[in-house]
Amino acid sequence: MKRVKKPVFFVIAALILALTYTAVFGVYTQNGDTKNTWIKSISDIRWGIDIRGGVEATFSPAEDIDATAEQLEAAKAIIELRMVSKSITDYEIYTDEANDRIIVRFPWKSDEADFDPETAIEEISATALLTFREGMEYETQTVDESGNVVYQTPTGTTAENVILEGSDVVEATPVMQQDPTTGSYSYAISLKFSEEGTEKFAEATERLKGQTISIWMDDIMISYPTVEAVITDGQASITGNFTAESASELAAKIQGGALPFALQTSDFSTVNPTIGLQSLDAMMMAGLIAFAVIGVFMILVFRLPGFVSVLTLLGQMAITFAAVSGYFPFVNSFTMTLPGIAGIILSVGVGVDANIITASRIKEELYTGKTLDGAIHRGCSNSLWSIVDGNITIMIVALMLIGVFGPSNILSQIFGASTTGAIYSFGYTLLVGVIGNFIMGVFCSRLMIKSLSGFKPLRRKWLFGGSDKA
Amino acid sequence: MKKFHIDFYKNKKIYFALSIAVIVIGLVCTFVIGPKLDLQFAGGAMIRYSVDGEVDSNEIASLVQEATGRTVSVTVNQSLSDAGYQITVSFAGNQSVSLDEQQQIAKTLSDAYADRTFEVVQSSSVDPTMGARFFQKCLVCMVITFVILLAYIALRFRKIGGLSAGITAIIALLHDVSIVFFAFVVFGFSINDVFIAVILTILGYSLNDTIVIYDRIRENRKLEPTKSVDALPGIVNKSLNQTMMRSILTSLTTFLALLVIFIVAAAFGLTTVETFALPMMVGVVVGCYSSICIAAPLYTLWAVHKSKKK
Repeated sequence: MKRVKKPVFFVIAALILALTYTAVFGVYTQNGDTKNTWIKSISDIRWGIDIRGGVEATFSPAEDIDATAEQLEAAKAIIELRMVSKSITDYEIYTDEANDRIIVRFPWKSDEADFDPETAIEEISATALLTFREGMEYETQTVDESGNVVYQTPTGTTAENVILEGSDVVEATPVMQQDPTTGSYSYAISLKFSEEGTEKFAEATERLKGQTISIWMDDIMISYPTVEAVITDGQASITGNFTAESASELAAKIQGGALPFALQTSDFSTVNPTIGLQSLDAMMMAGLIAFAVIGVFMILVFRLPGFVSVLTLLGQMAITFAAVSGYFPFVNSFTMTLPGIAGIILSVGVGVDANIITASRIKEELYTGKTLDGAIHRGCSNSLWSIVDGNITIMIVALMLIGVFGPSNILSQIFGASTTGAIYSFGYTLLVGVIGNFIMGVFCSRLMIKSLSGFKPLRRKWLFGGSDKA
Repeated sequence: MKKFHIDFYKNKKIYFALSIAVIVIGLVCTFVIGPKLDLQFAGGAMIRYSVDGEVDSNEIASLVQEATGRTVSVTVNQSLSDAGYQITVSFAGNQSVSLDEQQQIAKTLSDAYADRTFEVVQSSSVDPTMGARFFQKCLVCMVITFVILLAYIALRFRKIGGLSAGITAIIALLHDVSIVFFAFVVFGFSINDVFIAVILTILGYSLNDTIVIYDRIRENRKLEPTKSVDALPGIVNKSLNQTMMRSILTSLTTFLALLVIFIVAAAFGLTTVETFALPMMVGVVVGCYSSICIAAPLYTLWAVHKSKKK
């Protein structure tokens, strides 16, 4: 048997403990008043609305209007903007073209005791009010989560002088323009006005040449271009430092103000946060006790391999939590729901099973009278395929769930985007857990068992489930 | 080390009869009790309020009926955590309730009881067509998953008759799904997304169990010098007895973990978690049983039957 070097056990064990510690507590540094997050911890996990409370609503165009994809995108852009203005940052929003729906889900804000979900949803889905106003005077200036400045509430002349309204805009599209002098390309937003709008805009651009006309969505200023020329033909464009993305975003917002339909709320559910937080604490406690029970059970039944399995299970859980909290820079953080926790339970079950299969196999080989090294070698290699087969079939199930119940999915064509992200989250945690099991329960546990068997005091068959006398 | 010597193949009729009996009883229960299809699938509406004093359920019902013009049933429960009460308003039929109506109800209630504060604890309102679509989608997903699994198992176990291995594994899965479904009906839990999560977990769990056993059958078949089918029941029995300890231990650990979760959930009154853990415990036992007593004997029966035909 190829020996695994003795220090390997300690290296892997140290890595697992370090991963677990950082995944649970995170790594933060305090720089003056700002707290820098280097590694996200369990407390950074976004909990789904079923756990911490929140609102889920489905909007659809009123009066059975068949909306186009662009119109839905425009409506989505408005809803997003309103979320930001209500400082709800961790919302989820999907558009479902097949069924003409927009699904919004957002958690309760913990500092808002008297949050009124009905009013919130009503305000979010209200018909958008787009205005072009003179100047750019505003009341408040705040910075949103991604570092952009948000100007809110018009005042002074800006509040008084409304030049155009959403209904005056016929079309807003992102375009690419070539500068006639330099020849370089830049992104811009092309606007087309109605007849009435053209007149009003011509008058305003003549009066305000060289000054600013600001564009507002409800209460938020979304753009503040300077008038460069008098526009009389009803075709204007907004230029500036746009990227392809920011140009289409602004175009969608303006177009949203010109939506030909109102949104109505077709499905609506709220979950109170107090139920949610209680269940979170209780679930945490249940998880800890369950883990302790499994650990004691494994050590009592399988002795040394049981001890190794406790370490690898810890590592597998740490990998799962890390993948959910956004610990790894390449994996986005993920919203955790109750079915998500169920996925973790199943993956831990599968992880325990992998350890049990290997340990029982080693025990079996010892009872057939093999030497310790021979039994460990045979036990590990004979159990490998059975574990791999079981894990791959479960991965197939997990991948199907992610594929079918994800926000955009393989069955979108037939059923449209998903309403219940809960099942998606089950698939996600299950998949991550099974991958974690491949790394920990299959690879690391074998290395650790082989490495430990190199230590003289541990070279006793009893420790591996056999009998010393045999 | 404890060794088992159970002749699973010989006892197959007992196992099959037992399973069929359980399924028949389950079916009878389903028709008598009737499954509670959650409004998530069926569509409909429910609002739950908390209130800081006692109220009369009939009075609430008539107030809500007046405000919305719809038939409702109202239940009032004393809340566990504080002195208040919880009122659940369920709307008859499967139509959703609009936002305006919800606000109307809230207003009517607070007008009628000026000295009480009503707070929405939970509300859901689902359009019936959306619910039906979601249900269809779950079914389509299940069918596709079964097909892919069948292909994988058939490929991996082609040396021991892949198709028969795949189909018998899936029969065992269907067996588990139906028994877990009956468990939901008998416990009176509603069929909602928790049900889907439990079903999926049990599918994964039971499948893993079956695969481990088939893997052992494949390994033992390779060791056996004769390729005669007559030796197959013996090989299967040997494999089942060898994997038995592992099956029991794995099921026991999972069962214990779920038991802990169930007890904690019951202590804290978390019904969602309870409705998850209890049927899951049933599923773990059934999943382990079906892999050993249904899938493997069925597979053997298939192979023996096929060779006799030739």
